[in-house]
Amino acid sequence: MLELRDIHVHYGTSHIVQGLSLSAAAGQVIGIFGRNGVGKTTLLKTIAGWLQPTSGSILLHGTPIHELSTHRIARLGVGFVPEDRRIFPDLSVEENLALGFLQVPGRKAAQNRAALADVYARFPRLAERRSQPGMTLSGGEQQMLAMARVMIGDARLLLIDEPSEGLAPMIVADLYAIIRAMKAEGRTILLVEQNVANALEVSDRFVAIERGQIIYAGSAASEGDRSQLLDAIAV
Amino acid sequence: MLEYAQFVLAPQIVTGLALGVAVILVALGLTIIFGLLDVINMSHGEFYALGAFIALALGQVGLPFWLLLVAVPVLILPIGYAVERGLIQRVFHSEDRHVTTLLLTFGFGLVLEDALRLTFGPNPFKPETPIRGTIEILGTYLPLYRLFMIVVGGLIIAGTALVVYRTRLGAMVRAAAFDRNMAASLGVPVERVYAGAFAFGVALAGLAGVLLAPIYSVFPTMGRDFILMAFTVIIVGGMGSIGGAVIAGLFLTQVQAIASLYISPVWTDPIVFAIMVLMLMVRPQGLRGRLGHA
Repeated sequence: MLELRDIHVHYGTSHIVQGLSLSAAAGQVIGIFGRNGVGKTTLLKTIAGWLQPTSGSILLHGTPIHELSTHRIARLGVGFVPEDRRIFPDLSVEENLALGFLQVPGRKAAQNRAALADVYARFPRLAERRSQPGMTLSGGEQQMLAMARVMIGDARLLLIDEPSEGLAPMIVADLYAIIRAMKAEGRTILLVEQNVANALEVSDRFVAIERGQIIYAGSAASEGDRSQLLDAIAV
Repeated sequence: MLEYAQFVLAPQIVTGLALGVAVILVALGLTIIFGLLDVINMSHGEFYALGAFIALALGQVGLPFWLLLVAVPVLILPIGYAVERGLIQRVFHSEDRHVTTLLLTFGFGLVLEDALRLTFGPNPFKPETPIRGTIEILGTYLPLYRLFMIVVGGLIIAGTALVVYRTRLGAMVRAAAFDRNMAASLGVPVERVYAGAFAFGVALAGLAGVLLAPIYSVFPTMGRDFILMAFTVIIVGGMGSIGGAVIAGLFLTQVQAIASLYISPVWTDPIVFAIMVLMLMVRPQGLRGRLGHA
């Protein structure tokens, strides 16, 4: 579904991602681990179109997307849940969600209403707060909204960055239940996470990144691979 | 005392209100463009003049005033769209884009102003007032055209606020104003939203030109004085705030009207600009928050 070929990304003169190649099959969850500042978030931003790779290519279903504008990438089914959630504070919960409809421009109004009803059924807290401005939500509710926003647009590839950061364990458990549900629906997920144990539970494969390069890749089901991963990222 | 209020104060307040509505129309466009694109459009005054000149030219070939109120903004829309896509977007991602876009729009304004001078000449034109006469309200005689301006301008301002705060299009605009990357990642065509908002903003300025042409003369540099007032309004109201532009526009034009009556007409501008300086000193962000920001 997704293939990254020898991606390089620079921030000014800093070489952040240094020749990274990775592929993800449909329905796979890939955990991406590494210390802060090694290029994990940069990688997700590059796939989402927020940053342009200086070289290399990104293919979605075999089609190059790295030169497309961000909104076109989104409309191809790439949903991004960034680290800081990026909820629009001035927009109500429902307005935030309705923006997600734009990821599927040809969809009929009745289908949008059904998608909204489905999201409210999955996230009852959001339904209760549908008229409230985004800024009034708690951290956990904002994270739910950020997830729901990409689900409503039926994104098939999800880029999720540090979903559990700053959240209480109970909320984190709820979030991972949602991630598992999204995986069960056949969505492909690239999951960047500091909480390695949680992320490995939902991942099929993982990669460890150091200085913008993959230093170790393995299967989440293998105890040996897991142990090597923890050594590689020095957790 | 009652006679003074009826014959002096009330007409002055209505005049201030009519001017306020026109200033708000210009400032609204300016503040939407700044709130969304982070661009200070220095050519905004020239779009105001362009609106007045297009109205003048179309009026001379026989188009009725009522039709001009629609035709002029509609004609300016594609010009604004092309300017944003062709000029501003080209430098939008450069590192020093604030300075570059400021100079670029300033330069474009000069080109527009000179083009108007070469086409229409340097001398002022005075179009006829489309609605003549006065109406008596509670013993006060008020000029009909100014009341018309207040109603039409008020409706357009209310309509703009309604679109921005109550429609899905408005939600897209506010989202793009707050965080262009996140908005784009949800499928918002940010570049088109930017160009559309710029076009809408300058079309509002053009409409103000149509409305004010019968009151003031039409001449190539007419945008310069007026734009200073519009900039003052958005600085006092809060750069990028629609509500702030409305409050500041009404307040400052009433200050002008009252100061003109009780102090002297020559002191109106210094007083208004002093309020702006004072605001920058005590509350630099202005009265209200920026578009899309809580």
